[in-house]
Amino acid sequence: MACIELTHISKQFRKYFALDDVSFQVNDKEFFVLFGPTGAGKTTVLKTIAGIESPDEGNVKIDNEIVNLIEPAYRNVSMVFENYALYPHFSVYDNIASPMRSPLHKTDEETIHKEVHRTAAMLKIEHLLDRLPSQISNGQKQRVAIGRCLVRKPNVFLMDEPLAHLDAKLRHFMRAELKEMQANFDTTTIYVTHDYLEALSLGNRIAVINRGQIEQIGTANEVYYTPVNQFTARLFGEPEINIFGIELIECENGPKIKMLNNEHFFDLEPDVVKVLSEQNVHDLNLGIRGTCISYSFAKEEDNFFDGTVYSLEPIGNKSILIVDIDGERIRIIAPNDLHAELDSPIFLKFDLKKALFFDRTSEEFIIRHNQAHYIGGLI
Amino acid sequence: MAKLLLKKLYKRYSNKHSKLQNDFAVNDFSLECNDGEFVGILGPSGCGKTTTLRMIAGLEDITAGDIFIGNTRINDLHPKDRQIGLAFEDYALYPPLNVYDNIAFNLRAKKVKEADILSEIKRIAPLLKVDDLLDSRPVSLSGGQKQRVNIARAVIRKPKLLLLDEPLSHLDGKMRQVLRTEIKRLHKEINCTTIIVTHDQLEAMSLADRIAIMKDGKLQQYGTPLEIYNYPVNEFVAGFIGEPPMNIMTVTVSKTDGVFFFNFSGTDVSIPVPTQYYPHVQEGGTVRFGIRPSDVLIGQQSSMGSMVQVAVFENLGEECRISIRVGDDYLTMTTSEEIRYRQGDVIKLVVKSDRIHLFNPVSGDRLGEKI
Repeated sequence: MACIELTHISKQFRKYFALDDVSFQVNDKEFFVLFGPTGAGKTTVLKTIAGIESPDEGNVKIDNEIVNLIEPAYRNVSMVFENYALYPHFSVYDNIASPMRSPLHKTDEETIHKEVHRTAAMLKIEHLLDRLPSQISNGQKQRVAIGRCLVRKPNVFLMDEPLAHLDAKLRHFMRAELKEMQANFDTTTIYVTHDYLEALSLGNRIAVINRGQIEQIGTANEVYYTPVNQFTARLFGEPEINIFGIELIECENGPKIKMLNNEHFFDLEPDVVKVLSEQNVHDLNLGIRGTCISYSFAKEEDNFFDGTVYSLEPIGNKSILIVDIDGERIRIIAPNDLHAELDSPIFLKFDLKKALFFDRTSEEFIIRHNQAHYIGGLI
Repeated sequence: MAKLLLKKLYKRYSNKHSKLQNDFAVNDFSLECNDGEFVGILGPSGCGKTTTLRMIAGLEDITAGDIFIGNTRINDLHPKDRQIGLAFEDYALYPPLNVYDNIAFNLRAKKVKEADILSEIKRIAPLLKVDDLLDSRPVSLSGGQKQRVNIARAVIRKPKLLLLDEPLSHLDGKMRQVLRTEIKRLHKEINCTTIIVTHDQLEAMSLADRIAIMKDGKLQQYGTPLEIYNYPVNEFVAGFIGEPPMNIMTVTVSKTDGVFFFNFSGTDVSIPVPTQYYPHVQEGGTVRFGIRPSDVLIGQQSSMGSMVQVAVFENLGEECRISIRVGDDYLTMTTSEEIRYRQGDVIKLVVKSDRIHLFNPVSGDRLGEKI
């Protein structure tokens, strides 16, 4: 039980800035996700908190106490690694018991027995306690590794991509398990991942990190529905969000937009117009997700865009339909039984009420319609 | 461009130390690919898919069986005479040569005139979007660009058959999607019979006209992506295809007033057995029950269904997943509606009864309707 605070942490490996002025605060009992692409610095943050790396600048605080100079063993943090790191010659029981037998946390065998069984029951591995790591599956190994961390009741629980080594099927199952267990954890947890599904599913809050810097910290809804910039918007969602340039045209009754070389002028919602005119930005990009676009194979109203089918890729319960409109490739989610010849004509309609507006120069997020609804956690 | 026919193909590795000594890496594998067709060979690692591809390419001896391209039996043809284009997962470009020379390499080996090479490269390079890279060296290229060059090199010789071995597995998520689309486009442009070997079901589903699913050297099912998705022949195929995976669990069958019900362990959930499955169930027996997450719905007040507690709710942006506990397993459902639940909320579970799959609890084979 602890809150953690990082203030202005920087870390350099030779000339390479691994972390550049990273600050954030994790609340007591929070499940906090560090999410970003490979090489973003996620694991370095985790190691800094654990004490395996020491920062060049800045402080790490656990419960308001600066721990920079405290040895890892005395920080009472517990870490789960991507590759489990179980003792191969110890049974599952002894692996889970090992932290309580260390000189620092020495516990009597009776308590160990009780604690190991309590943890094993929670992780549903009680029937495996006598086995060696080589005799259990990867998913079970991961549970043992988690059990070994849970058993000693650490202040902070650090997890470094614990599901990355599992196949897709097991990952789906283990993610659900982790989420279900989370309710009983009540230990502050920092979880590192590069998988946006894990980040959205598990995190109370998510910190998006890129090139050693924090891009955004927010709830799953905030980062998904109101990403701070185009980079963050692209990280969440599959297929990737569509982002393209639009023209803002001043008309008699307020500004309208033109896009993708279509002659039609599209209306904007009043709240969007207000913010755009306040900020006086003219070079705009529009972001729209594949779920907010509808299509038709016959020409309908005039606000439909003409395009051609560039690609149609069924992926199980849905298809990804890619449409070429004037050189721009628009990715759409379609049903899995859709049939369409490549290069055949198709017509699209965008649900602009769900569009995101970005500044084309800075690539920063400006506004979306009904923004408070998404941030307020109403949805 | 030609038809490919594999007839009762076997492969045994004769390595003394191999565990496969008495075991076939490829076992009675037959496959027919039509002219211009895009076929995916899909399976977990070690299932024999790459061995099959290597036998087609001539890089591996054939223990038994025949391979035909068009009407020619190619078993004894030297690899270079088989007119096959091959692209491996690790690009294997020549580092000292620039992109142009890498692509031209095979044609030069065949003593094609430089003028013809130039015109061929001008035709192929734009298809794979490498026309701006022709002067670059491989070191300066990204993984995705290297794979484009690698594929360009394979298709430049106008092969009768194009073989792709896990071409996307070294690339990161975003690049993989982009190149997946490019490969689909390329196939349409050159219309060459193509085989892709992959362990990634999304790759196979999205690219191939038909998919052959292998396990332990044996063909499990061969069909269009939708056929396999909707009518998997056994439990292995059902679990292998689909994301999130199909819910598959053991249920017991009970009978009340002449009506059979599936009962789920550790819950009150019971679902009437669709009548077409009556010949396959018996009172007190067990059966493997499968249902795709998209075929489980949350019922309205008026609808028939069982009340269950939400164990896990995940909002994943494009869709939400709700899982309930059934013994040690989860029953997961997906929905794209903007709804929010918490752990412990009670919902009404409705299963689309026409989308239930049943499998034999011993053999794993599909029961009831097949294609």
